[in-house]
Amino acid sequence: MLRMNKLAKTYFTDTIKTQALRPFDLEVKQGEFIAVVGPSGSGKTTFLNITGLLEDASEGEYWLDGVDVCTLSDKQKSRLRNEKIGFVFQSFNLIPELNIFDNVEMPLRYRKLSSAERKKRVEHALAQVGLHSRQTHYPSQLSGGQQQRVAIARALAGSPAFLLADEPTGNLDSTMADGVMSLLKEINAAGTTIIMVTHDLEQATQASRIVEVKDGVICEVDKQTQAIA
Amino acid sequence: MFIYYIKLACLSLWQTRSLSFLAVLIIGVGISATMTTYTINYMMTKDPLPAKSERVFLVRLNNWSPEASYRNRAEERPPTYISVQDSLNLMTQNKAKGHIPIAGFKDMLKLPEQSAIDAEVSVVRATTRDFFSTFDVPFLYGSSWPQSSDTTGEQVVVISKALNLSLFSGENSIGRTLMLGENQFTVVGVLDDWHLLPRFYGDSMRAFQPPREIFVPFQTQINLELWTSNLQSYECWKEPENASVAALWSSECIWVFFWVELASADNKSEYLDFLDSYVREQQALGRFQRPILNQLQTGADYLQERRAYSRDSEIAVWLAGCFLALCLLNAMSIIMTKFQGKTAEVALRRAVGASSADLVQQYALETGIIGLLGGMLGLVLTQVCLYVSSQLYTHLSKDIMNMSMALMLATVILSIVSSLIFGLLPILRAIGVQPAEQLKSL
Ligand SMILES: Nc1ncnc2c1ncn2[C@@H]1O[C@H](COP(=O)(O)OP(=O)(O)OP(=O)(O)O)[C@@H](O)[C@H]1O
Ligand SMILES: [Mg+2]
Repeated sequence: MLRMNKLAKTYFTDTIKTQALRPFDLEVKQGEFIAVVGPSGSGKTTFLNITGLLEDASEGEYWLDGVDVCTLSDKQKSRLRNEKIGFVFQSFNLIPELNIFDNVEMPLRYRKLSSAERKKRVEHALAQVGLHSRQTHYPSQLSGGQQQRVAIARALAGSPAFLLADEPTGNLDSTMADGVMSLLKEINAAGTTIIMVTHDLEQATQASRIVEVKDGVICEVDKQTQAIA
Repeated sequence: MFIYYIKLACLSLWQTRSLSFLAVLIIGVGISATMTTYTINYMMTKDPLPAKSERVFLVRLNNWSPEASYRNRAEERPPTYISVQDSLNLMTQNKAKGHIPIAGFKDMLKLPEQSAIDAEVSVVRATTRDFFSTFDVPFLYGSSWPQSSDTTGEQVVVISKALNLSLFSGENSIGRTLMLGENQFTVVGVLDDWHLLPRFYGDSMRAFQPPREIFVPFQTQINLELWTSNLQSYECWKEPENASVAALWSSECIWVFFWVELASADNKSEYLDFLDSYVREQQALGRFQRPILNQLQTGADYLQERRAYSRDSEIAVWLAGCFLALCLLNAMSIIMTKFQGKTAEVALRRAVGASSADLVQQYALETGIIGLLGGMLGLVLTQVCLYVSSQLYTHLSKDIMNMSMALMLATVILSIVSSLIFGLLPILRAIGVQPAEQLKSL
């Protein structure tokens, strides 16, 4: 489903060279729920962005659904992002001048879908996150937890194979965070592969696998050990 | 998708309404400056008779003193007008499709029932019926006078729509009479609105002034011996026999602009041959003692030679074009600022699968709408400027200050296209953001 071989990322700025990710191998199978943990600045977001085709790796191979991603053009990558990948960002990234319906509909606009089909999908996605009644509200009229659920609905509307979430609960209090977490678990149970960056160890233990990033080094953690630690 | 982009563009325009308004205003001002000067220049230099300009000619004969060339020019060129006798001869020989002498006089105009105090000085155009057909003059009532009026010199007139309005309150005045000095004339035709720009057929100094209001047959002026010496320029290399008008008519004095319409442009050399043989005939009679330099000149060439077109208006167009470029550069920086606030949205749209092309379309549409609004504002401002100019320059024909439909369309298209060209850089900069970096910093 998703296979990375000796993948690495190095940033070059004017003066310094940052090895954000050292070469690593990783394989993710369909339906898995992977938690990515690690200290700040260790390279978690970089890993997620490369996984989500927002950034190119500096070296190594990345196969997504049997396609060698390095060979794709910008346009093809856009297509792939649109059809296979849903993003949930740490800050919710809703467009303030569009209402909830339009925000959720946005990814679907870049596909050739009839407006009836789009409406059906948006309503279904909003129903999944329990915000069906708020379609005509604007982001500023919702709480943080609700906004994050809208962002999840936007990611779900395109029925992606992968959901990539970068600290989806980072800006929420614990009750709201729990709500989002159980929503993600439901989605995962329904078959969507999820890769989620989190600081919260308790959340991490709810995942099926845990990957730890430390100073750019990625390693798999045994769930039992991690739980004890 | 198009409708979606329009919706996004309108939302965005509203979101940044003050910047958008500023951009529209600047584009509108630049467009109107350019289009105002361009319209005036265009109307002044356009071909007044597009379908006929290659077969309507001014006849120039080298009728001057044996002692010196006309105006003592080193490179000898014939005068622009000819004598009455040559005009009459050329018409009698009848070798062209149309013969249009441009002559005239000044007289007191009134209705027969009005008293002499109510008479007003009027400038009359004396010509032939060919004038109306060759120059495509439209009639509201009646028509031009018949051929017989030209040959016998009947006392008939064609008047303009405006004069018909003031004399006969706009009614169909065919058959009514009016007085020019002592002579009574019968109205046979009333012209409709008529625009001929530039008005090339007469004195080049008046090419941008409206035509005269009243027309009579040339032969009638000749028969009635109506002469106004201070109306048009006339030159005599040999004094007339005596001071009478009849003597002037048969003299070598030149003052009649004589135009011919040929059946086709191919007949030009044929007609020149005819003119040569005519002059040789006259030479045998002791006239035309200078080299034969007959010339058939188009209206445009004639105005060019007489420097009727001013270089100034052309320079003004260039300056206005530079001003437009300046305005567009300003608008560009405003659009740049406007789009800078969009990096987050761009990053987000890229992340959810919009391609660069999708985003270029979205923002090009928004820029295009700014251009469209700027163009429409520019059009309104142009109309205002043209109106003001027509009020300021009352001696120029109002028709110069008129925009054709095609020019209006061109204005809006110019605005949209130039906005898109100048908006391209801001657009490319806006969508050039790396989504990963943007989203990371959020
Ligand atoms: N565009 C960039 N150019 C240069 N260096 C970068 C760039 N993006 C990230 N880095 C560096 O790469 C390293 C990893 O950054 P990353 O954002 O992946 O960390 P993170 O694990 O997500 O941290 P956090 O938990 O605070 O979000 C950091 O040292 C960062 O400074
Ligand atoms: Mg991060």
